[in-house]
Amino acid sequence: MTKAIPAVSTSGLSKSYGDAVVLHPLSLDVPKGEVFGFLGHNGAGKTTTIRLLTTLLAPTSGTARVAGHDVASDPIKVRASIGYLPENVRLYDRFTTRENLTFFARLSGVAGPVEAVRETLDFLDIAPLADRRVGTFSKGMRQRVGLAQAILHQPEVLFLDEPTSGLDPMGVRQLREIIEKLHARGMTIFMNTHLLSEVARSCTSIGVLAHGKLVFHDSMQAVADKYDERSLEDLYVGVAERGPEVAA
Amino acid sequence: MPDLLPSLSGSVTTIALRDAREQLRDRFLLWATLALIAAAAVSLVTGAIALHGDAATYAAARAQLLALGKGASAIAAPEFYPLKLMRGMIEQIEIMGAVIALVAGYRAAAAERGRQTLALILTRPMPHWAYTLAKIIGGMGLAAVSLAVVFLATAILLPIVSGIGLTMGDALRLVLTWAAGVLYLTALFTLGFGLSLWAKSPASGLIYAFALWILVVLVAPQIGDTMDPDNQVAGGVFAQLSIPKAEQDRIKAGFAGYETFRNGIEVASVTKHFERFTFAVLGIKDTYTGAPLAKVMAEKQGDLLFLFLFSLGLGGLALLRPINPDRLTKES
Amino acid sequence: MTPARLIARQSLSGLTRDRSVLILIAFFAAMVLVTAWLGWSATNTVDAIYVDAATYLAASGQPVPPNPVSQSAPLAVLRNLGVYISLIGAFGSIVIGQLLIETDRRAGTLPLIGARPFERSDLALGKMRAMVTATGAMMAVAAVISVAMLFTIPSLVVRPGDLLRLALFLVAGWAYITIFGFVALGAAARMPATASGLIAATVVWLVVTFVLPELTANVHPTAAINPVSTLATTPDSVFFHLMSRVLGPLSLAEGFAWASGDLLSFLPDGLAPRGPVPPAVALPVALILAGLFAAHSSAKLDLNAGGPDA
Repeated sequence: MTKAIPAVSTSGLSKSYGDAVVLHPLSLDVPKGEVFGFLGHNGAGKTTTIRLLTTLLAPTSGTARVAGHDVASDPIKVRASIGYLPENVRLYDRFTTRENLTFFARLSGVAGPVEAVRETLDFLDIAPLADRRVGTFSKGMRQRVGLAQAILHQPEVLFLDEPTSGLDPMGVRQLREIIEKLHARGMTIFMNTHLLSEVARSCTSIGVLAHGKLVFHDSMQAVADKYDERSLEDLYVGVAERGPEVAA
Repeated sequence: MPDLLPSLSGSVTTIALRDAREQLRDRFLLWATLALIAAAAVSLVTGAIALHGDAATYAAARAQLLALGKGASAIAAPEFYPLKLMRGMIEQIEIMGAVIALVAGYRAAAAERGRQTLALILTRPMPHWAYTLAKIIGGMGLAAVSLAVVFLATAILLPIVSGIGLTMGDALRLVLTWAAGVLYLTALFTLGFGLSLWAKSPASGLIYAFALWILVVLVAPQIGDTMDPDNQVAGGVFAQLSIPKAEQDRIKAGFAGYETFRNGIEVASVTKHFERFTFAVLGIKDTYTGAPLAKVMAEKQGDLLFLFLFSLGLGGLALLRPINPDRLTKES
Repeated sequence: MTPARLIARQSLSGLTRDRSVLILIAFFAAMVLVTAWLGWSATNTVDAIYVDAATYLAASGQPVPPNPVSQSAPLAVLRNLGVYISLIGAFGSIVIGQLLIETDRRAGTLPLIGARPFERSDLALGKMRAMVTATGAMMAVAAVISVAMLFTIPSLVVRPGDLLRLALFLVAGWAYITIFGFVALGAAARMPATASGLIAATVVWLVVTFVLPELTANVHPTAAINPVSTLATTPDSVFFHLMSRVLGPLSLAEGFAWASGDLLSFLPDGLAPRGPVPPAVALPVALILAGLFAAHSSAKLDLNAGGPDA
């Protein structure tokens, strides 16, 4: 039996700026269909990792494959396979939701952009926002449109960078429901987050990054077998401060 | 995964068209065009009034000479070439047009960085240089449309203020000047866009772009102009000393080294090449007034080539330079 | 230390750490140096041309007019300084005015300042104090370099009266560039979008420098930045005489150019300032009005807005 190609696979992937190492060699496999929660303190290297995987940044060493394509040698195919929602996205203020989404659908090479936009608006339950200018939206509404642009071409892998940042509890819940629906469709989701409660509820596996090093990586099931939600916080703080032996 | 990878030209067109629509919506293009039309109109009208003043002075002097029983050949009649009135307007494009192009370039970069949409575009299946190319094409379109409206307004205004209709030849000269203007402004748009995209913050990029503008558009030609000995004395040194033209040329020949240096400073500026080309095509420079277009083009192809290569080189530099992912937001 | 002084000190300290400001000041200093060289080199050339021309005129039996160089005063060697002050100095001042507000806005520190116990007017005073100090420092740089150059160029005999005229010229230059700094500061306070203050003040400066001189005296943009060509007489027509009277007091670039010519002794004989209000009145009035605009705008500054991507 052939082993399934992981959705995300890195081997010794690192990033440095001069002498400053932002990401130490990272070897990580995220299987297809997972919701992977990437945890870490501010400045741990999570955003750098996402930028490396989305081809925005070139690695200093190592390799990475997303949806089976090498980020360095085949960036266009990688980009055709991914969706990306950066932190605090604002989109084009003077354009309506539909205009924003049609633009990004075309850039992603979607054959029927109008139809794809309509389906995505319905899927995310934001059809009433379709013809309103994004500049008038609240943070939560804007975040949903941001998410729409990331999924309207039905990517294999969806990268979310702190998607709950600045959202109210209702917005967080709505986002969680969307992630669950996308997961049910078989989409792989790679999510940077600070919110442990979200990790506990949404993710199927987690990794913890501390000072540029991956210090913990396991399935959520394995974590749940050992820890309840309160202890997840202890686990996170422990591995982030003292290393993987804490989780042992 | 999408059904098809988008074609490169499709992506470039999509981005350029979106930019064009945004520019139309936020009225920047409208205000920029109106500002240029206003500056051009001021130049044309004041130039025409000054010319009418010269004509009236000439007519009075001529009448006085004739009344005294002398010939009028001692005083030169003012020349009536409507395109000559465009001198101030061309200089306004050199200076104000350049500032507008820099600001347009800055806006094209700052808007994407501020909204984080740059990251969204760069994670689409197309090479990053295609994004830069689309932006430059968008900027070129902006310059082309804006200048076309300005030149059209000029073509309507010129016969009114000068009282002389334009010929087809004049129209062709206007088209050539428009094309040179589009090249010139595209180069400055690219400069503003590139610096605002690459600098730590777009505002810093704009500051650097303005500083370069002062150096290239104002200071370099100004140094060359100031070093011209004829500009050192009010009314001109040769005129004040009453030296005839032939003797002027002999004396000037003795300062060939100085003149080469002075000219060298001037030609380091792309603005000067734009000015020399357009002044010759429009006959603003006396030596080219009324000269056939073919002769002017043959003599001034070097300036046009410089303008073209400068724009191409700057565009190439912008396309080749990778976009720094640490510059995806406004402050990085 | 008063709140206004604290704000001024903090703002100035920030400016000295801003690379773009330092580059602009270095650029300005370099151009002041170039000014003296330009004046010296061009004067030498005119002198040499005169010697050639005098030989020709004498040989052809024509009267030899006096040497234009011997008629010019030593300070005239600095005639380009006025141009660079009105180009680079004014632009530097605009950048500083913009940064004084924008730095705090982008850093998200405006709400933190607003939550401190002092009056809004202290904030405005502090920012304006920083502005006048920064432009004063720029003029001090110009003063040191130009005095050093005056005493270095051989053939120049500088008298105490010349130094007084130079000092007055630098004060006029300071007033001129500070006007645009205040406009940028006020515009940045009123318009929260990035670089709006910079763009708005630059537009005002462009109109003053390149459009008004065309209306008052048909001075084309290129001539407007030549210290000699810009001092042209008003064309003899009703339109220009009217425009000169109406717009002359607003045409600050021409006013400053006239004051430069007068103080540095290269003003053509009999050339009157444009319009009925002399620059000695128009420049201080414009400075006060720009200061009031900056004070009012920065006192009304929205302290809630801000953040890196605002």
